[in-house]
Amino acid sequence: MTQSAHLAELGGLRRRRWTGDLIFRLILSALTLGITGVLGVMMIESFVSASPVYQKFGIIGFITGVTWAPSFTVYGAWAFIYGTLLTSLLALLIAVPISVLIALLLTELAPARLRGPLGIAVDLLAAVPSVVYGLWGLLVLVPALRPLEQAIAATLGRVIPFFGPPTPGSSYFAAGVILAVMIVPIVSAVTREVFASTPRLQREAVLALGGTRWDVARTVTLPIGRAGLLAAVVLGLGRAIGETIAVTLVIGNSDNIGRSIFSPGFTLASVIANEFNEATETLHPEALIALGTVLLVVSVIVNAAAIGIRNRFTGGARSGF
Amino acid sequence: MASEAPLAFVPTSASRRLKANLFVVLAAIALILALIPLVAVFGYVFVNGIRSLLSLDFLIQDPPADLSATGGGVRNALIGTLEMTGLASIIAVPIGLGVAIFAVEVGGGLARAARFLIDVLAGLPSIVVGIFVYATVVVSQGHFSGLAGSLALAIVMLPVVTVSAEEILRLTPRPIAEGARALGLARWRAVLSVFVPIGLSGIVTGVLLGVSRAIGETAPLIFTSLGNNFFTVDLNQPMQALPLLIYRNALNSAYASARDRAFGAALLLILIVFGFNLVGRWLTARRRLAGSPR
Repeated sequence: MTQSAHLAELGGLRRRRWTGDLIFRLILSALTLGITGVLGVMMIESFVSASPVYQKFGIIGFITGVTWAPSFTVYGAWAFIYGTLLTSLLALLIAVPISVLIALLLTELAPARLRGPLGIAVDLLAAVPSVVYGLWGLLVLVPALRPLEQAIAATLGRVIPFFGPPTPGSSYFAAGVILAVMIVPIVSAVTREVFASTPRLQREAVLALGGTRWDVARTVTLPIGRAGLLAAVVLGLGRAIGETIAVTLVIGNSDNIGRSIFSPGFTLASVIANEFNEATETLHPEALIALGTVLLVVSVIVNAAAIGIRNRFTGGARSGF
Repeated sequence: MASEAPLAFVPTSASRRLKANLFVVLAAIALILALIPLVAVFGYVFVNGIRSLLSLDFLIQDPPADLSATGGGVRNALIGTLEMTGLASIIAVPIGLGVAIFAVEVGGGLARAARFLIDVLAGLPSIVVGIFVYATVVVSQGHFSGLAGSLALAIVMLPVVTVSAEEILRLTPRPIAEGARALGLARWRAVLSVFVPIGLSGIVTGVLLGVSRAIGETAPLIFTSLGNNFFTVDLNQPMQALPLLIYRNALNSAYASARDRAFGAALLLILIVFGFNLVGRWLTARRRLAGSPR
């Protein structure tokens, strides 16, 4: 073959490659643009559906309103925001210490042969569907917690009304406990990753100096993993805020702000799930969608915070070591 | 000095040994505390659900119109779950894979915007996803439908699929990427016949984890597929799903029959979800083993 024929062939090859890549790029761009557009439209459309409620009560008025009375067309979100905050914080209070200890156990203490299976067992906790936790929570956990609730109400509750009666079983407290069970896997998984990435040299240095495993955890793993731990906690908070069905089944479902932690209530997510299919009053569906937009904004903020902390953490670790 | 790590640790002081031992004990207690619910939930659901599940009628009959009546099965919910999750996968997998390839191979502002949206989506409560689909699809269609349910599940799956596919594609070994270029492969050719096949087991893991998440979702279906007491495969009709059936029967758990049905369906759902989850993990573990010598 002559040289010019070679060159001509190469030119044809290049052109074919170029067209192929162009088509490939166009298809991918269209796909990405399409999905971005669809998701964007869905978010905007949700806010549009909720707008009559925001117009009637004002954004601040809707969020801080304490009365939720569909039959009088009065909608305020505060009772549900309160329920969401209370149950999520209670869940964190229970779940974070347990998760940190599990992460330390699986990175520092457990025999290497056990780490894999134990890790998978904890991860499987995260795979159990929410509705199954709810079913179990309703039929097993709530009755099991009632004696504990009554005991606390009879002692501590005499002094502090927040721990006082009523103690029907289904309550903010029960919701917080089931949420704790549900967020332990995610918090401990992220924490485990953070702890596992602490520099080996420093750990071994502490051991070589005669330190115990606890000394390693205290002087190396925990201080270095602090930021990552914070990210894990915030991520767990995000999960707890949005969890719906399990909470709906155990929180007792009341539109009012419960005075005691043992009284029934609602979270943002659970009131939407519980009332949506029966929402026939004026503006009732719109008000529930408005609650959904509050939930949307809150979880975007919480998750952005978690991602920000994590990025700072990994960026810092890279430059530091 | 007080806050800094000591230069050496006093060898075997009793209090230090005590603290170290206490730490081990506390950690073990924490693990046990966390595993109690797993054992308790699975054990309780197993014991209460296995009897329903062992009879074939449970899988091939529909539930009675009145939840409090005994008998019947969960056929409508099982088929609905499979159909909606299947359609959701058909929608979410190509889109997720496409966005991942776009982000890795092309990049730029559009890729960043799409990835940001998908990161946001990954952290969104699934009930909000249900509201998205309600406000657009259900409102414009004028009725609840299996199609709307599938779309909601697809959106729930999308971030799981995209994030894992992107991670895998970024891990394509450099020598292989360079080899593909050196052979003169066009970019699209390199992606489709080299990079994707190499990462296939990882991508499949992502898909399986996405499916296992979507299949157990209840919240997004409440506003989209609604649930249906009758058997249907028509995506234009409201459609039942296992999580919805469990939820409705749990709400009526004062009736023994509803409780039994809920537990049978819950056991079936757990087995399906764990199945997808464990197969996905097994694929990842196998890849790590195969890849470790390199």
